[in-house]
Amino acid sequence: MSEQSETRELTPAKAPVAMPEWLHSLLGTLLAISIALLGGAVIAIMVGESPFHVFMTLLRGAFGGPDRIAGSLLQSTPIIISGIAACIAFRGGLFNIGVEGQLYMGGFAAAWVGFSFVLPAPLHLTLGIAAAIAAGALWILIPAFFRARYGTNEVVSTILSNYVAILLTSYFTIFVFKRPGGWSETAPISTTAELPQLFEFSRLNWGLFIGVALAVGLHMFLTRTTAGYSMCAMGSNPKFAEYGGVPIRRNVFLILLCSGAVGGLAGGVETLGVHHRFMEGFAPGFGFDGVIAALLANGHPILTIFTALFFGALRAGSLLMEVETNASRELITVVQAFIILAVSAQLLVRRRRDSQAGERRWKY
Amino acid sequence: MQKNRPSRLRTALAGISMAALVAGAPAVAQAEDLSIAAVSGYFAQGFGISIVNGLERAEQELGVNVQIVDTGQRALDFEEQFNNLARGGDFDVILVMGWELVDALMTTAEAHPDQRFVFIDGVLESDNITYIDFIEEEGSFLAGALSSMLVEQGVEGFDNGSEVGFVGGRDIPVIRNFLMGMEQGVDSASEDVGVSSVFAGSFDDPAKGSELAMTLYGQGIDIIYQAAGPTGEGVLQAARAAGKYAIGVDIDQCPSAPGHILASMLKRADIAVFDLIQGEVDGSAPIAPGTVEVGVASGGVELKICEDMMERIPAETIASLEEMRAGIASGDIDVALNR
Repeated sequence: MSEQSETRELTPAKAPVAMPEWLHSLLGTLLAISIALLGGAVIAIMVGESPFHVFMTLLRGAFGGPDRIAGSLLQSTPIIISGIAACIAFRGGLFNIGVEGQLYMGGFAAAWVGFSFVLPAPLHLTLGIAAAIAAGALWILIPAFFRARYGTNEVVSTILSNYVAILLTSYFTIFVFKRPGGWSETAPISTTAELPQLFEFSRLNWGLFIGVALAVGLHMFLTRTTAGYSMCAMGSNPKFAEYGGVPIRRNVFLILLCSGAVGGLAGGVETLGVHHRFMEGFAPGFGFDGVIAALLANGHPILTIFTALFFGALRAGSLLMEVETNASRELITVVQAFIILAVSAQLLVRRRRDSQAGERRWKY
Repeated sequence: MQKNRPSRLRTALAGISMAALVAGAPAVAQAEDLSIAAVSGYFAQGFGISIVNGLERAEQELGVNVQIVDTGQRALDFEEQFNNLARGGDFDVILVMGWELVDALMTTAEAHPDQRFVFIDGVLESDNITYIDFIEEEGSFLAGALSSMLVEQGVEGFDNGSEVGFVGGRDIPVIRNFLMGMEQGVDSASEDVGVSSVFAGSFDDPAKGSELAMTLYGQGIDIIYQAAGPTGEGVLQAARAAGKYAIGVDIDQCPSAPGHILASMLKRADIAVFDLIQGEVDGSAPIAPGTVEVGVASGGVELKICEDMMERIPAETIASLEEMRAGIASGDIDVALNR
């Protein structure tokens, strides 16, 4: 966790508690999750179910057998990748709330390459992934430019770009590329563009490893390279970074672009690896889940893998829970909402503490 | 949210059947073993609500267990949801509604050949599934007959034309069935009235539906029957704008443009679902792979005249409509298709 010590060099430790910051944020994460699960238990009681039974079913749905574990990993994959997309922006002191829209654009672009061209396997797949990355980057281009050039609030512009992306891909799917006689979906991609499945019994695919590799890669970048160091410096204190010679505007632009590109990749992995086509409105909320996973991990890429796995397992478990208990699948949404509340509360407390210590933190 | 309703019912039902057992009447004991799951993303909308109503009636009257599963919107979940329902073997029958679920349904049906699936409102390519198929042409016959009689008799408001209109979604076989049924109904009621039909080319384009309907109304047509999904909503709105009349489809569309909707050709999923379950429970028609046709005879397809229109339609028209309905139900009137 050496990047934490670097952060400390920039912002000398004034925390009253003498524990490493990563441990502090891990404890915070665990606290948030415990509060959320407690809230979930209360709701389970309110719908007349034993919380123990509900949580055991949840656990069984998430981990009760190889195919269930694969199902949890399958649900986690898009959350890991979109979580990394959000992490990139967070660490640079920026917000990308447009991961959802980038995911849709990337998913559509990858599917388009998949069903429009006839190419040999490795090339077709590579091109599909490249198209997803490019579409994601393209979709954040305008917010990124305006943020870098004029300081326009990127939270608002990226949120708004979500709606355009979702409706634009709907339009393409229904009016331009609709499979004749089918539901609102495109033609299937050719097999040469498919991300290979890992097992016979699950749709889990290589996308999981793409996500993990991205997280590890981002972690290495942030902790081992000069560029990563200047990015963290920007995230902690942009004034200081600028004083130290970091080209803020250029970096803001590049960081947002990378974040968008990874967001696009998240969608590409879904269409190339799981659905093998693009469906209108196919994945509502994955982008937002990713942002929450990254927030919960305090922007730490490796921790993001685990928070994403947690959300994916919750999701997979909830699918069994709704069949076997009276609790609705939406119980999980409530648990996630509790987590967001708990995390925001911690951030507020931390910010207050920091500002009392005379330190203005730009992070989040 | 959806799930609580049936489960509360189930609790109430358990109480009732307990009381019945105490009284020494083991009436519903056997049916209680039948567990039914219903899967769809549309249980909050017209047709889906109708399915839920049918299931609740089956729960109350037949004592079956019902589990309703709302799929939500995430395509990633569908297959897992089907698997969770099928692999435990807890459900005797799984009802499915919604075309976006077809892929997941086919995959699961293949993986669990012993699990009985029922797909509502359509016929797919698998031989392992039971299909509920509504005979739209029978209801359309009645819609055609009603509009034809009104136009021919010159009832006030419907008096300036020898033609009635039809707006279809796309020109595909199932929509042709609607049109063929309507044409036969129009012909059987009057030889002087003809049908002027157009297709919008899309089911998702209310503006196009409205535009086409306006053209037809502009030609002097008073009544348009629509079979066009959301495109048809435009037809209903055009009826209001033009001060003319339309006939709705699938669900009760009278509230869409009160005073301008004559009737709705209903596909009563509640009746179809209840009948299906009843056939299984009393053994008269166990659920087996194949197509179950639901038509006017069972009440699964009907023409419902809007309340606010009743006084404007002559009693003899209503009477002869009822005669035709009975004729179709008994088989005396054959609504034929050039399938």
